[in-house]
Amino acid sequence: MVEIRNLTKHYGRNTAVKGISFEIRDNEILGFLGPNGAGKSTTMNIIAGYLPASAGTVTVCGHDITEDAIEAKKCIGYLPEIPPVYPDMRVEEYLKFCAGLKGVKRADIMPQVEKAMERLVITDMRRRLIRNLSKGYKQRVGFAQALLGSPKVLILDEPTVGLDPAQVTEVRRLILDLKRDHSIIFSSHILSEVSAVCERVVIINKGEILAEDTIEHLEASMTANTLLNLTVDGDRDTIVRIIKDVQGVKAVRDIRELAERRWSLSAELENEDARGEIMTALVSNKCGIVEMNMAKLSLEQVFLKVTSQAGGKRSSLQDLLDETPEAPDNPYDSE
Amino acid sequence: MFALYKKELQSFYYSPFAYVLAALFMFIFSVSFVSAISDLTSNTLKFTFSNIFYNNFFYFIFIIPILTMRSFADERRGGTEVLLYSSPLPVWKIVLAKFLAIVTVYLFMMATTIFFPIYAAATGGQVVWPALICAYLGFFLWGLVCIAVGMLLSSLVGNAIIAAILGEIVMEGLLFLDTFAGSRLVDSYPHLNSVVTWFSMQRRFVFFSQGMFRLEDLIFFLSLTAVVLIWNILSIEKRRWSHR
Repeated sequence: MVEIRNLTKHYGRNTAVKGISFEIRDNEILGFLGPNGAGKSTTMNIIAGYLPASAGTVTVCGHDITEDAIEAKKCIGYLPEIPPVYPDMRVEEYLKFCAGLKGVKRADIMPQVEKAMERLVITDMRRRLIRNLSKGYKQRVGFAQALLGSPKVLILDEPTVGLDPAQVTEVRRLILDLKRDHSIIFSSHILSEVSAVCERVVIINKGEILAEDTIEHLEASMTANTLLNLTVDGDRDTIVRIIKDVQGVKAVRDIRELAERRWSLSAELENEDARGEIMTALVSNKCGIVEMNMAKLSLEQVFLKVTSQAGGKRSSLQDLLDETPEAPDNPYDSE
Repeated sequence: MFALYKKELQSFYYSPFAYVLAALFMFIFSVSFVSAISDLTSNTLKFTFSNIFYNNFFYFIFIIPILTMRSFADERRGGTEVLLYSSPLPVWKIVLAKFLAIVTVYLFMMATTIFFPIYAAATGGQVVWPALICAYLGFFLWGLVCIAVGMLLSSLVGNAIIAAILGEIVMEGLLFLDTFAGSRLVDSYPHLNSVVTWFSMQRRFVFFSQGMFRLEDLIFFLSLTAVVLIWNILSIEKRRWSHR
């Protein structure tokens, strides 16, 4: 449906997007995930045809976004980060204008506007001035605008920002519902949100794609990593070396000094079997264990880990998570 | 394109903006009209409507930047330009739609003045209609250029207030191009003089206001408007393609 090839965007000397490639398949919801300033909005602006790319191509429904812009843009409904609404207009009037702008036939304008308002539950607000609406409602009006003209592709840039929890659930349900007729790319910096609605996810940071994978793989990689939180008395280097030497320990991190010769740290384990060995190894080396508990690597931790790592694209999330680059100044600390 | 034109036109009438400007314009026009009429007894000046138009343009030209200042600046500030440029509407149509909307408002303002000649004719005055129509045409054509320039500034500067202030300066410049051409400095360079004189709009407007229609002047105003509009289209494209 949408193909992005080697997309690059320079802003003066800064490169916001560095040669990224991915695709949005028919009737799928693709999550576009990254921290703030990762290049998400720039990429979405380019796909929507608002900004031209410095290099690379975007093909929407077989039409190139720069060479065949008019046809390509007809296939796109775009909700930018800030909903593009006119404060002096009324909701219904604004939506009618947008429908006209998108070249919807005169006879179809009212039915489409009615349908969009119903879907976003803003029919009661139709006579209200947009300037008097709350942020959540403005966001919904912007969303309704994206649905007009029944575009095949929907580009939603952080559609749930500024909504209250009930509205967030509503919008998620709407996005899942829209999947039947549209291909959707949906950006967010909140991982749990993406995992709630998307099948596939593209993780981007500093203008580069770090991973492109399905949510199942993402979740599988989460459960595969078990975290052991420890508080141990003893010498820092000794403790870290002992734990590292145990079979099945992938990384040791978050090392903090709690008190004199008392350290808190987290060990990432392949499975729970290594826990016993760590205990035995520590005790036999006369390091007193003060506290010990098991935790699963949370989605947020996976995301943080992925985005804090530099470097090119991995074939899957699992590969990425398996990599534990060693910091030169401390061979044991993976962070 | 019609949808955008309609929205632009409506945007002038959502707020009292266009009404206040029209009222200001009518006020200025009426004051100069009344003062011209009251001078009739002194018989030093022959009253014609064309003269009134000629004088009034000097006030009116300063209203135009206020009319055009928001055209692109507000879209940029409000983040709504994303909506326009990601819609299946080419940039030239966006510029044209906005231009036509402002021209329509401008025509409304001009139309309010027609009350005076009609009233004069109805109460037994002698109105030379062909000359008057010619004056209206000149007024309209010069206005087109000013609107195009005002829009260009709004799109270049991206801030309504600064666009308006710059607009006033440019309008002032356009007005005094004629005086500048006649100055000693320019006069001493015959070639420069002929160029500046050729571009002087006031000189061309005089012909219109005296009821003299020259094809040359018509083409001058229309082509200058087109050039400025194309400049605007190119500058928008350039801004999108270069880094922000």
